[in-house]
Amino acid sequence: MRRFWIDTDTASDDAVAILMALRWPDVHVEGISTVAGNVPLEMCNQNARFTVELCGMATPVYAGASQPLLREPFWAYFFHGPDGMGGMNYPEAKLPIQQAHAVEAMIDAFRNAPGEITLVTLGPLTNIALALGIAPDIGRKIKVCYVMGGAANTVGNITPAAEFNIWVDPEAARLVYHSGLPLVQVGWELCRGDANLLEEDLEYVRNLDTVYGHFSIDCNRQAIQTNREWLGDPALPLPDPVTMAIALDPQISMRQSKHYVDIETDSELTRGMTVVDERGVTKKEPNVEVVWEIDVPAWKEILYKTLR
Amino acid sequence: MAHKILIDTDPGIDDSMAILSALRSPELEVIGLTTVFGNADVDSCALNGLRLVELEGHDHIPVTKGSGAPLFREELDLGTQVHGLDGMGNTNPPPPRGTLDPRFGVQFILDMVKQYPGEVTLVPLGPLTNIALALQQDPGITDQVKEVVLMGGCAFGSGNISPVAEANIFHDAHAAEIVFRANWDVTMIGLDVTTKIIVKPADLEKMYAANNPAVDLLHRIQPCYQKFHDQIYGLNGAFHLHDPSVTAFLLAPDLFTCIEAPVYVETSGLCAGKTIADIHRQWGDRKPVKIAVDADASAVINLLIQRLSQ
Repeated sequence: MRRFWIDTDTASDDAVAILMALRWPDVHVEGISTVAGNVPLEMCNQNARFTVELCGMATPVYAGASQPLLREPFWAYFFHGPDGMGGMNYPEAKLPIQQAHAVEAMIDAFRNAPGEITLVTLGPLTNIALALGIAPDIGRKIKVCYVMGGAANTVGNITPAAEFNIWVDPEAARLVYHSGLPLVQVGWELCRGDANLLEEDLEYVRNLDTVYGHFSIDCNRQAIQTNREWLGDPALPLPDPVTMAIALDPQISMRQSKHYVDIETDSELTRGMTVVDERGVTKKEPNVEVVWEIDVPAWKEILYKTLR
Repeated sequence: MAHKILIDTDPGIDDSMAILSALRSPELEVIGLTTVFGNADVDSCALNGLRLVELEGHDHIPVTKGSGAPLFREELDLGTQVHGLDGMGNTNPPPPRGTLDPRFGVQFILDMVKQYPGEVTLVPLGPLTNIALALQQDPGITDQVKEVVLMGGCAFGSGNISPVAEANIFHDAHAAEIVFRANWDVTMIGLDVTTKIIVKPADLEKMYAANNPAVDLLHRIQPCYQKFHDQIYGLNGAFHLHDPSVTAFLLAPDLFTCIEAPVYVETSGLCAGKTIADIHRQWGDRKPVKIAVDADASAVINLLIQRLSQ
């Protein structure tokens, strides 16, 4: 069994990604830590616990940082709906939130199983930065960290220069990126174009007529609408699930290479930009595996497998 | 009842005087030391913390090791030129008897604040990394901490480590911004007041005459500090009273004059580490900080000599 830890600002696409991991046969999710990002922490807690219950599991959910390290929070209700779940207003989850703080729990988990746990981050990197600040040794104890975040030398979403997760807490991202932690960056660009769930894909999922299939589309109904109006992109973008698919089956990443990546934290204009030294001009030690291209049909098949 | 204080420190020559005078004051109950990088590397600072509690029989006080580097690891810049590589003026003191409390400094702070809600004053004497990490992990501690009285910053005058910045804030400007931004009571004892309190060789002679373990230690380590102050400021054996001013404030706040203003910390560029006092409230409604701007210098010095001599 492969061991995963998921850090998430649980809103609609996070929920689908969590579901994928929970329902993947050879993966055991050790813990889920929530972080403020898409929506405030209390909503993330509820959404994560609800998703775990929906999958019939009892994975411990730990509450983490309620705000970025230095920046004011910026909520993405416009994309994820007023409850982060497309306004579905799911009932209160019965699964309790754990007593321990996410950062403590994460540090314990990695220290107790050095080199064994794959960390998948789906939100701002605040919790990871705090964990590394408190316990720098864990940088070398995490097997690998898949980051849903950034935009590798391409357009941003929340601003022209930056992707949301990195933009929300650029200082945390910078700390994590320079920590020595083995990182794989899955930028938001990889969920665009055909990697979106297109109209026919959405129809296919609906026709599966499973709890998981309906859930995945229902909680993303705001995202579908905003995607069209705000980004001019087709149907449903699922950056967190794409990242999870790569974590579940690294073969999904068709082209990736290691580069020196830094994060802009001083400028307002380029706040949160992930600057990838593609050509090696800075001569600095490469620190991040950047994914450039994915196998789109294979990514969708992984998703469908968990929804059936 | 004695005032519970938790000292976060990078001993450090002036930290040593501050801590020893606190330990020798019955009005203060030192519930623990958390150490941080700054004047020297955190391992040296932690050992010095142990040495200081052991010196005059306070071995029961827990000493914990905290952050070894600032939040955002650029280059590690230590004050070893001022405090010696060992943080004790290069006097190479013998190893301490005891061992560190196994808890990480940040965890210790959270534990103590929870154990004594409303009672603990945090007394940071070094870079604010541990405090910022504690605050981020549990923002609720702002309601449980009694207050924060820190040595750091410089709102109105020249800096020391840079033309505008004081060393503690400079060493982790992001941490400082997190601490000053939070919604708790902070008193900033910075260069604005500490450069007005000048300890002269005559004061030191009076102190050393007591011949107890505390002043004997200070007698051994302070020449390094005096030398630095002479080289940079031409003070001829005298030095500015930084960390020990905090102990004096805790014992006798009326000796100090403070103004209130929200404080913002610049985190990058030429002015990195500068503490900006928004006196006219132009920038919004961050909670004001009490900034010490003046003091009865001779009364402060005499108070500390008295505590260290008894």
